[in-house]
Amino acid sequence: MAAVTLTNVVKRFGVFEVVHGANIDIADGEFVVFVGPSGCGKSTLLRMIAGLEDISGGDIAIGGKVMNDVEAADRGIAMVFQSYALYPHMTVEQNLSFGLRMNGNPKADTERRVKRAAEILRIDELMQRRPKQLSGGQRQRVAIGRAIVREPQVFLFDEPLSNLDAELRVQMRVEISRLHKELGVTMIYVTHDQTEAMTLADRIVVLKAGNVEQIGAPLDLYDDPANRFVAGFIGSPKMNFLGAKVVDTSNSAAIIELVNHGGARLHKPLREAFPAIGAEVVLGVRPEHFFVAGQGDCDIPVKADVAEHLGSVSYVYANAGPEELILEREASRQRASGDHFTVSIKAERSLLFDKAGARIR
Amino acid sequence: MRTQNATAYRFLTPYLLIFAVFWIWPIISSFLISFQATRTVPWRFAPAFNWGRLIGDPAFYNALKNTLLILVIQVPVMIALAIVMAVLLNSPLLKARGLYRFAFFAPVVVGEVAYSAVFRLMFSLDFGIINKLLNSVGIPKIDWFSNVTPAMALIMIAVTWRWAGYNAIIILAGLQSIPEDVYEAATLDRVSKVKQFFHITLPLLKPVIVFCAVLSIIGTMQLFTEPFLITERGGPGGGTETLGLLLYRQGFRSLNFGYASAVAYTMAGLAIAITLVQLWLMREPK
Repeated sequence: MAAVTLTNVVKRFGVFEVVHGANIDIADGEFVVFVGPSGCGKSTLLRMIAGLEDISGGDIAIGGKVMNDVEAADRGIAMVFQSYALYPHMTVEQNLSFGLRMNGNPKADTERRVKRAAEILRIDELMQRRPKQLSGGQRQRVAIGRAIVREPQVFLFDEPLSNLDAELRVQMRVEISRLHKELGVTMIYVTHDQTEAMTLADRIVVLKAGNVEQIGAPLDLYDDPANRFVAGFIGSPKMNFLGAKVVDTSNSAAIIELVNHGGARLHKPLREAFPAIGAEVVLGVRPEHFFVAGQGDCDIPVKADVAEHLGSVSYVYANAGPEELILEREASRQRASGDHFTVSIKAERSLLFDKAGARIR
Repeated sequence: MRTQNATAYRFLTPYLLIFAVFWIWPIISSFLISFQATRTVPWRFAPAFNWGRLIGDPAFYNALKNTLLILVIQVPVMIALAIVMAVLLNSPLLKARGLYRFAFFAPVVVGEVAYSAVFRLMFSLDFGIINKLLNSVGIPKIDWFSNVTPAMALIMIAVTWRWAGYNAIIILAGLQSIPEDVYEAATLDRVSKVKQFFHITLPLLKPVIVFCAVLSIIGTMQLFTEPFLITERGGPGGGTETLGLLLYRQGFRSLNFGYASAVAYTMAGLAIAITLVQLWLMREPK
């Protein structure tokens, strides 16, 4: 087990800088998820930790030792690849033991480790099969098993569930979570799926275009995002963003007018920054934070476009002027397509962002 | 569906007719001819005439021995060389890869007569560059065309030069189809590059190598150009005569079509038999 520290880590491909000075501290035994849209640099960052990509700048330390010039094989890590990367010509057993056999590990110890990995992942029955005779979920288990037999200090997962169907993904997510609890090893997991990030992580690192946007516990990111990008990326369905303008300020609040909702006004308490009168701002409201008319601080009329009733939860895709809103929970129940109704926003359940996307608190 | 099939067959008819007349009929006809004595007029049906002669003909055994010798030595050497070339061509460290790929493939597109003439010049006893190079490192001149062993070696060198690059390009395609992350996984498993080659690359290349080997076996069984043009019709004294050359000599020099047909069927039968054995040996474990 080991802590992982990234200090001002930079990655350039030729003249293109794709990771711009990432600073991340991962504690020993922690499960950290790198999440972000395609091309944000999350896999590149993981591959740099693994030693599969050179580091253009900064330092990567594992267990307190700087690893910049240490070969991938000597970093004490194991990686699970998106495509599983199993050796197609070997049986499951050979796949699991290959690395150990090639390094002259004692036979008895190799057998013990393979047996333990097989038991942990419940793949004992599959040991004599080849990868092409396995289902996607079974292959993923073997890939994780291959990482387990290495007994690494750090596990790296590069979008390991993205090739699986929805049901299997949920199942494997639970298995990976169980595995982390069982092994207690530091795990770094890359995904573009915020649900995976929210369900698995002790802490999430949100990345965008090579920059670390925010690091925090899943619910901290959900409840208190640092900027509009994190607010929009974390949470499903996405947060709604309503165009607004500051019409007045006081010592402790700003009065904003929702420009696309007939001049509806909201008294938004603030404690850190006070935007100028006339400044364009954006009000963020999560789908479940729309309330029945009159229960909040500001009512806006909407027209239901499409209503989705999923049983445990209902969503209404509503038009309110030029903005499309997604509503959830009580505000959306009993609504049908074409309904006109009014919803209410509570000031304390909404977030304010400036025009550039930075949070105004 | 039936109308569609009929239309398709109408479009295919011109080709099928040509195929039937120039491929299918000669195959059937030569099989029938192999059972006829063709040096009498008119030809007469004599089933044991050609096949019986084949079994006791020293010239046939000489050609068979030469062909199999080339097959056993040249094909493995060429395939091994092709694998090495393919690995080099696939290396990210190699500059001007496109140029090397072209250079390795170029021998296949060079005219057979031109390349044979150049080989004859290069290996000439007194004026050839090969003997001069050998001399310069203290090795005495070799008479490549007058002694059987050097002549056979020359044939093997020429065939290897001509086809190794071609096979390397096919193997290169196989190499490029091996996913990079398999090697990355092996690297993280602390497996050295050499061990990766023997335990990952070679096993995963097996289907491509089998394909190249089968093509090479078929090609070698039909070997004709090099012994005909470079060592002058299988010389010295039939020392490099192959089955292909024997067939030509019997069919088109002696006009003994019956015997030439029997030789042709023997060549095809051997090629199929060796290929089947090869495929069986290299089969995927269940």
